Amino acid sequence: METEPRSRIECGRRWAGRLGVATVVMAGLFLLAFPSREIRKHPERKPVRLWHMWTAKWKEDVDRIVAEFNASQNTYEVIALSVPESAADAKFLLAVAGGDPPDLMAQWNQVIPEWAENGVIMPLDRLMTLEERRAFDRDVYPVARRMGAYRGKLYAIPVGLDVYACYCRLDHLREAGLDPDEFPQTLEGLMDWGERLNRFDDSGRLTRLGFLPFISQLTFPMFAPAFGGGFFDWERGKLTIDTPENLRALRFLYEAREKLGLRNVIRFYSGLADGVGSAAWPFMSGQFSICVDGQWRVGQLAKYGGGIEYMTAPIPPPEGGRRHAGWVGGNFLVIPTGARHTEGAWAFMKFWSGLENPERAARFYTWGGWLPLSRAVADAPAYQQYLRERPQFRTFLDLLPSENLTPTPPVPYQTFLWDRVREAYESVSLGHLKPQEAIARLKRDVSREAGAREQWTHHGQ
Amino acid sequence: MRKHLVGYAFISPWIVGFTVFTVFPFLASIYLSFTHYNILSAPQWTGLSNYERLFYEDPLFWKSLWVTLKYTVVAVPLMVGVGVALAMLLNAEIAGMSVYRTVFYIPSIVPLVATSVVFVWILNPQIGLVNTLLGTVGIVGPAWLQDPRWAFWALVLMSLWTAGGSMIIYLAGLKNVPRSLYEAALIDGANAFQRARHITLPMLSPVIFFTLVMGVIGSFQYFTQAFIMTKGGPENSTHFYALYLFNRAWRYLDMGYASAMAWVLFVMIMALTLIIFGTHGRWVHYGD
Amino acid sequence: MASSALRPTRMQRLLLHAALLVLGLPFVLPLLWMVSTSLKTNAQVFSTGGIEEGLSLAALIPHPVRWQNYADAWHSVPFATYLKNSLLLCAANVTGAIFSSALVAYGFARLRFWGRDALFILVISTLALPAQVTMIPVFALFRFLGWYGTFRPLIVPLCLGNAFFIFLLRQFFRTIPEELSEAGRIDGASEWRIFWQLVLPLAKPALATCALFQFIYTWNDFFGPLLYLNDPSLYTLAYGLEQFLSSYGGEWAQLMAGACIFTAPVIVLFFLAQRTFIQGIATTGGKM
Repeated sequence: METEPRSRIECGRRWAGRLGVATVVMAGLFLLAFPSREIRKHPERKPVRLWHMWTAKWKEDVDRIVAEFNASQNTYEVIALSVPESAADAKFLLAVAGGDPPDLMAQWNQVIPEWAENGVIMPLDRLMTLEERRAFDRDVYPVARRMGAYRGKLYAIPVGLDVYACYCRLDHLREAGLDPDEFPQTLEGLMDWGERLNRFDDSGRLTRLGFLPFISQLTFPMFAPAFGGGFFDWERGKLTIDTPENLRALRFLYEAREKLGLRNVIRFYSGLADGVGSAAWPFMSGQFSICVDGQWRVGQLAKYGGGIEYMTAPIPPPEGGRRHAGWVGGNFLVIPTGARHTEGAWAFMKFWSGLENPERAARFYTWGGWLPLSRAVADAPAYQQYLRERPQFRTFLDLLPSENLTPTPPVPYQTFLWDRVREAYESVSLGHLKPQEAIARLKRDVSREAGAREQWTHHGQ
Repeated sequence: MRKHLVGYAFISPWIVGFTVFTVFPFLASIYLSFTHYNILSAPQWTGLSNYERLFYEDPLFWKSLWVTLKYTVVAVPLMVGVGVALAMLLNAEIAGMSVYRTVFYIPSIVPLVATSVVFVWILNPQIGLVNTLLGTVGIVGPAWLQDPRWAFWALVLMSLWTAGGSMIIYLAGLKNVPRSLYEAALIDGANAFQRARHITLPMLSPVIFFTLVMGVIGSFQYFTQAFIMTKGGPENSTHFYALYLFNRAWRYLDMGYASAMAWVLFVMIMALTLIIFGTHGRWVHYGD
Repeated sequence: MASSALRPTRMQRLLLHAALLVLGLPFVLPLLWMVSTSLKTNAQVFSTGGIEEGLSLAALIPHPVRWQNYADAWHSVPFATYLKNSLLLCAANVTGAIFSSALVAYGFARLRFWGRDALFILVISTLALPAQVTMIPVFALFRFLGWYGTFRPLIVPLCLGNAFFIFLLRQFFRTIPEELSEAGRIDGASEWRIFWQLVLPLAKPALATCALFQFIYTWNDFFGPLLYLNDPSLYTLAYGLEQFLSSYGGEWAQLMAGACIFTAPVIVLFFLAQRTFIQGIATTGGKM
């Protein structure tokens, strides 16, 4: 027993030596600690840091726009950084809170009112000349103006709107004996078409979906405006939740599912490939005959569609409803509070969006297949050429002037509101809540949140 | 006196790290839990109002707490059981053991983002592995992640798949069990089960104690899989506490409220941990 | 004599193999799917298998094999730069965390000093507060120290002990017989020598486990580097994978190819390193 520890000590020595070496290496790394040395192309210029969430092909498009901007003048150098979406908000908010934000952030989530209210981003009004402001109010589509505004101030410049419409397979129509020129003028009519396009297997399971008013978590906000509903009264500046129109919309959306069988629909959807950037889109594989989706699918169909014949059309309103109504999203640029080179950021915003030179910017929009914020860009030759090559794209562009399009309500708890709206539809579509119950719950939850936020505002004063 | 100093010298790295990197953030978040704080403006003192809202006015708080407690009660014992069982099997001396060990451990290596994609496929109601297998024996499987009754269980299943992570800890623990103990037991005529019950488990108890405590802490903070795969849905059936906390903090910019939630969680975790520490003496043996 | 009886008989070995194969199936099938998907075209991913056709292993075999997915994944990120950063961080984190944690754990496990148990509870409590609510103060702290934009926030705190490892190693150190240390003390060895030359070598399996955990954590962590660094040339492979995943959302073939490339080095490392777990100390420890 007494000799044993000694032999262990011998054993341990070599091993401990190795650990010692490792420790020295570690200490070396520790001392170095790698200060960040950035290589810049134009070190003499003012740096304008741009963070965005695009990756892959879209990241390259952004890099090209940035390169063009940097070549077009010699005061600023825009430096772009792609931040994966899952971490983008945390990184951005920490940087702003920590006092070291980028000069520009590109976003597509529902954040403008929330960030504006909390002072995360700054109003752009004071960066604009009077002339620029006037041109903005005159040229920019109403929905794009609403999207960037909060409490009478402008906070964001859209550089690519997302509009939704119907995609429709012509081969399926022909097979069912339907005439594409007679595309239904009402949602009810479209439902009838859908019924004739549905296909089932022997056991009654859905194998092809003709049409369903469904666009995952956007379903309720997308269709409610066509019923005269929606979640915001833009004239009075108030939330609208428990309105008869919204109830009617939710009922309609529920009944459309129920007709096919709630479980059947869930089963069918869960077996589909999914993903916004995906080449495997059920419309392409023929599992949808008519579906609602965003304009970017046109570009994907051109690339991966393999010559599928299809048309696009605005979502028809229900009987007595509002035409060309629906929800619109978008990509937009914001300037965080505490940004150092706001003039450079504003110069780049004008450059990219086309507020400065629509003709030049039109090309940028065609690279990404984005919808422009103003008619001036849309009318530019480069954009018109793009439309000639993709006639189906025009449907989306033509919707943009509509006053019935609406972005997410500009309330400071927008994200909370949207989560609860999604829940309301979810509960109804699973058959767990009746439409009026879901709307009552939505109303209750949102009022409570609004009430709590009201309190703090008073607290501070 | 010297004895104490030597002790403090050994733990000094932690004392330095705790003082420099932990104390201030902890105190800051306690303070913030009594304020309204939107990340950017200065916090406004609101007293207990965050806590009042939490307990009296927030159905989502209770819902998320319930989901999380359910997960702790279900997943932690399962993980410990599966982990210990696997480790015992993988500790035998047979050929190809290194391959077996690797197979059971790989799921814990694969990054969660990729694991999530794999599980979206496995649990796909139509073409997924699980329902296909169930189909061969005539059972129509549920829609798993899309079904509010099953999504929670799908996540439990997924965490079992990564039980290999704790298996490694048990394996390391088994390596500390002296062979002589087994040899002595053999001479006494103990069978395999008795040896496992009376030698292996007691010898593993320090490690099991560790995985139990860490499992409870981890399950209360369960977040990533739900964040990637279900976002809390369908119908909030996977709306875990940490997920709600994240939403409050970063998506609803309600950091004061999130801090209050965090401290409620902290108190619950520490209470449970202390209870487990209290039972410590009864079942954990340190080889003496 | 007794020792040979411990070795499984031929029958037992066969049974064990059978059990491991059956149990291993659910662990390995998803991985096979991952690899097979990574070699398919996107059209194939969704067109084969499923309830209608029953489970056919043939569906797992890609036809035709599409190596291009790997080329796509490889070329989509600056691989060499990211790999260098990943390895650098892993090396620093593994050595830093293991060494400091072992030191602290030894203090808590084998030395007696005033307030030890209370301090240990404090160690555990640092794990109980969700990081979401301390992130802002921590970030502010690093900015105050001028560490924003460097690797320091990712390295230095870990070099001051990781509570998870401290707890784990404490459990292991406590199982090492006290008589060993006593014998060392009688020999006149200092506490440091007992720690460094007696106890540490005996805890090799536990240290290897910790090293492995830290390596995998750092290897898979994209959030930390992303939070504190703004220069893409300092980012790690995990960031590359995350970018890759978000750009190919829905294109499972490319996505899985990326995940396979990312995971393969860790699997190889584990396969090679797991010998450490086998060559435990138990075979030499005949004390009882």
